Amino acid sequence: MTTWIDTSCILVVFLALSILATYRITGMIHIFVVQSFVLSFVPFFLHADALTGRDVMLVLATLVLKAIVAPYILFWAIRHMSMRSEVKPFIGFGTSIICGTFLIAGAFWVASSLKLPGKLISDLVIPCSLSTVLLGFMIIVTRTKAITQVLGYLVMENGIFLFALSLFDAMPTLIEMGILLDIFVAVFIMAIVVNHINEEFEHAPASLRRTKMGETL
Amino acid sequence: MLSVLILIPFVCGLVVFLPMERRLRVRILCAVSLVHAMIVASFWKVNPPSEINGFLMLDAIGLIVLSIVSFLFLSVSVYMVGYFHHEQRRTRTFVACLLLLLSTMTLVSVSRHMGLLWVAIEATTLFSAPLISFHRNPESLEATWKYLLVCSVGIALALLGTFFLAIAAHDVHTLLLPVLLSGAKMLSVNWLKLSVIFLLVGYGCKMGLAPMHSWKPEAYGQAPGMIAALMSGALTQCSFLALIRVSQICAKTGLSEFYASILIVTGALSLVAPAIFILGEGNIKRAFAYSSVEHMGILVLGLGLGPVGIFGAFFHMINNAVAKVAAFLAAGSLAQKYGSSRATEVKGVIHLYPVTGVLLIAGFLAGTGMFPFATFHSELMILNAAVLSGHYLLALVYLGGILVMFIGVLRIVLEMALGKPTQPVLPAKENFLMNAAIAVAMIISLGLGLWMPDILTKVLNDAVALVRI
Repeated sequence: MTTWIDTSCILVVFLALSILATYRITGMIHIFVVQSFVLSFVPFFLHADALTGRDVMLVLATLVLKAIVAPYILFWAIRHMSMRSEVKPFIGFGTSIICGTFLIAGAFWVASSLKLPGKLISDLVIPCSLSTVLLGFMIIVTRTKAITQVLGYLVMENGIFLFALSLFDAMPTLIEMGILLDIFVAVFIMAIVVNHINEEFEHAPASLRRTKMGETL
Repeated sequence: MLSVLILIPFVCGLVVFLPMERRLRVRILCAVSLVHAMIVASFWKVNPPSEINGFLMLDAIGLIVLSIVSFLFLSVSVYMVGYFHHEQRRTRTFVACLLLLLSTMTLVSVSRHMGLLWVAIEATTLFSAPLISFHRNPESLEATWKYLLVCSVGIALALLGTFFLAIAAHDVHTLLLPVLLSGAKMLSVNWLKLSVIFLLVGYGCKMGLAPMHSWKPEAYGQAPGMIAALMSGALTQCSFLALIRVSQICAKTGLSEFYASILIVTGALSLVAPAIFILGEGNIKRAFAYSSVEHMGILVLGLGLGPVGIFGAFFHMINNAVAKVAAFLAAGSLAQKYGSSRATEVKGVIHLYPVTGVLLIAGFLAGTGMFPFATFHSELMILNAAVLSGHYLLALVYLGGILVMFIGVLRIVLEMALGKPTQPVLPAKENFLMNAAIAVAMIISLGLGLWMPDILTKVLNDAVALVRI
């Protein structure tokens, strides 16, 4: 099963990097769906020999919240948006990918000095999760639109989630569900704010639109 | 009893979503806050038993935070009855979010599991965000967005820190605080250090410590006065509670020195950074926001400076919350009357609204730590702790920061209070309930400055004993 876990980890990082390199917002959301989909099956691979009801519940909850509900909310938030692609990121797409690869290298370097106590399922879980967190960070700081920043936040959460799976036993189910629920509500509220921002600026006369604010849209 | 205390506001928060008259919602908030405050007051006499396998438990530190939260909600809800007398906006989401916020803040103060603590603090971020954009204009939406994004990312880092803590506690198998503390010898120190850094950055972001404070002036400047009061007085203390919990763990594992050094550096930064920005500020609510950054710096500084400082920090938590309520409610009251909180547009308040004007000046004095208000004593205690522990340079920076902040805010307050009156939007008539809420906070701040009740000293000493080795 280690092969499957390794493959999933690498896929998660690769998909995060693809989001960083994608131009269209709908494309980014689609890639995020695939990433969440891959991620949600990791508990299956981790506990393939002795599946419990808890694993199944976690897989289902992740799948529903991250791969279905969250993207749906994001699509809802951008339904009226006239601009469907990222305009003028602070760093160009080519440079973003190069920076991204440096971040991945850095994450692997840092992770090499972090030793987990207890048995380790796969060597790739920690470096890959750190890489994904860093790539998510990079999406947040280099992209200028609110909706892409939400996506960056979600990618970052996916990285943290991958990390959480490696210490499955330390957290009670209740807390895990709480964390998932919080992230879901976060996306929900962020989407509402994005929607309000859009409405406010679609209706505001052009003279009131400040360039500073326009850039964050 | 603890779960009831969490559930009452939660259920009422859902109830106010039903269609009803807008002022009824505010009355429900008032009633819930009153019941909440009465139950919390009873906890000072009898400590409630722990619940849900020890996940919920109230200790002395939790009691201080819970009492602050409860008092702040009570004064804000009384104030809101007066505020919504003139305000025609819809109250549904607003009051619902406030009640849910009360419920989650209560959960923060009583949770004994580091994972549950994270869940609760993240929930407070989510329910407070819609409150900032009450006025629904571009500026307030921008402030909401900034708050939501900066705090969510910060809190995500705290989640990572919590997971690191779980790895450090691999041999203990749980994140329940009492078990963590009793099995402190079994924690892995390297992972714990990493976890402490992430937790400090994460929760520090939510608390508004420099250099992660950029959301604070925007959010407090745009939010209505009562929301700014709640955020600066109660919400930030919830994150500070998380930092105190980390401090408890560090004390047991011999990492106190390491943690204290980070706290002192962060605290000093939070004293210097707002002092630079305050001088160019012209908006009273933004000025109080910078003052809030400074007070958060004072709190973490106290936490890092040993027993005297910790006692000062706990006392300052209460004093700062009470003073901030008075300051922000007075500023919010003027913002409603004049439609602005800029010193250039609001002048001569004391001629048109003598009571509010006097309360604004009193709130400013309490907020910046002037004698005889209680903030003066707690700030002095922390200064004392800095000198006693031999941090002379730090003591100088501390005094300098406080002095610059005092001058910076004084300039704006005097400009607003005195001078030739500008014309307000609303008729020049004082509102009794709004002023009463501010006055009660003011009296408490003054009272604590002149006389310290025995029961409070006892609870503060108990709280200090929990953090000390």
